[in-house]
Amino acid sequence: MSRNPQEIVSDALAEYGSGREAVLQILTKINRELSYIPEEAVAAVANAVGVSNAEIYSVISFYSFFSTEPRGRNIIRLCTTISCEMNGSREILETIEKELGIKAGATTPDGRITLETTSCIGLCDQAPAMMVNDTPHTRLTPPETRRIIAGLE
Amino acid sequence: MSEKKILTATEQPDTGSALKKSLGMTSADVVFEVRESEIRGRGGAGFPTGIKWNLAGAASGSNKMVICNADEGEPGTFKDRYLIENYSLKLLEGMTIAGYAIGSSYGIIYLRAEYPYLIPVIEKARENLIRENLLGENILGTDFNFDIEIRPGAGAYVCGEETSLIESLEGKRGVPRNKPPFPVNSGYLFRPTIVNNVETFTAVPHIILNGAEWYQGLGIGNCTGTKLFSISGDIENPGVYELPMGSPISELLEASGSKDVQAVQVGGASGATITADELDRSLSFEDLPPGGSVIVFNSSRNMMDVLENFLEFFVHESCGQCTTCREGNVRLLDAVHLIRNGEISSMEELEPFFQLAEVMKISSKCGLGQTSPNCFIDIVTRFIDLPDEKEGE
Repeated sequence: MSRNPQEIVSDALAEYGSGREAVLQILTKINRELSYIPEEAVAAVANAVGVSNAEIYSVISFYSFFSTEPRGRNIIRLCTTISCEMNGSREILETIEKELGIKAGATTPDGRITLETTSCIGLCDQAPAMMVNDTPHTRLTPPETRRIIAGLE
Repeated sequence: MSEKKILTATEQPDTGSALKKSLGMTSADVVFEVRESEIRGRGGAGFPTGIKWNLAGAASGSNKMVICNADEGEPGTFKDRYLIENYSLKLLEGMTIAGYAIGSSYGIIYLRAEYPYLIPVIEKARENLIRENLLGENILGTDFNFDIEIRPGAGAYVCGEETSLIESLEGKRGVPRNKPPFPVNSGYLFRPTIVNNVETFTAVPHIILNGAEWYQGLGIGNCTGTKLFSISGDIENPGVYELPMGSPISELLEASGSKDVQAVQVGGASGATITADELDRSLSFEDLPPGGSVIVFNSSRNMMDVLENFLEFFVHESCGQCTTCREGNVRLLDAVHLIRNGEISSMEELEPFFQLAEVMKISSKCGLGQTSPNCFIDIVTRFIDLPDEKEGE
């Protein structure tokens, strides 16, 4: 199913080059494909770009979208910043947590879904809102949220 | 209501008409027109765009860069998303004109990670422009070449700060740089670089077509142009509204249908929080600097909830480089908890926190730490009713 990290890193290097300025793009590609950035990929990128593993790790740890831990096949990012909170994001969070049986920050045991809360995602006019992978879902209600979750593979 | 739409007008000038006009002018004249329009950066900081372009155009160094800051992350801001969704051709045309003006052949759009669904929108606009010879090589038969690449971010509020954004584009942690050197002299990969907001670039074709004087006439008082506002919270019709710069905030509230107003926050979590008695204040760099976010709170809202939410945001988003910002936001959040559980019950006890807020403002390197204490000061002094001195003393 998923390719091995080495292969993905090679592809990313071929696509973006091995310049320092390509690091974010390379990491984004690995992170998208594997849902996280494994240690062997960190080493491969560091080696190709010519910096230390620590340097690459420091970049990964800086950005919210990157993870060094395996995550689910689907990632839910529920906005909890002010306009979404005022429009009921808390209730949506409780709905998802109950539905999946996990708390924010965790992944379902079957590896299907990771639930994260996030800072403002720029959908405040359609609050409460969340991203499921690359797709925005807006004006959420508990029933609609349950429906969206049920549709995830 | 004087809603005057330019950027978001239904009828838009023909794509490429402003670029065509620009290519018939000298690059210095294009910069001059933008400078004379007195447009100031639409991302929030309000630096005069024409001056930035002038400096980058005059800078020595090759491979100059045009960078579009599409990393709007300020809570309550979504105007750039709206512009990209609906007016991406104008955005790319504005960037291309900027490229001609400063002598650059390459542009990058730094798009926030939360907007992946806008990538195909921009790609499609780019392909259309290339097909029309409005982008790519030998644009409109001239020797001017310009192309634009999209680079997604990876989720960091601070990357909206221009030097953090450049660091991020260079594949590093998005921490602000020391200035000088300024990006206009040494930016992306040490090249002379301009970084402008989506809305700023989108306004450029209109300025070129209609002239600086026309643009100046759109604003109220000393302000020039129109401005987009993302308004959300306790209102009937949240969305993006375009108003003359300098409009009173009451006008925006009327347009978006707000009835019950306890507080309005202008400029996002790092902006100013005002009371219902101050709605005649103006949306302008001189009064309430409008980054783009306006959030309305009705009388049922507990402003301490609001403050707590904002400070949690800043604690999470501080890049950690400056101690005052990294630790200061944590301490201000502590103060909120102490007020809420009754351990702090007077303004006197809050004095050290106000001092800390001032220290954060003057000693943090970038806008994040310089402005994050605003919400604490505004909300605690205007919306929380604490006695001056501790009871029983």
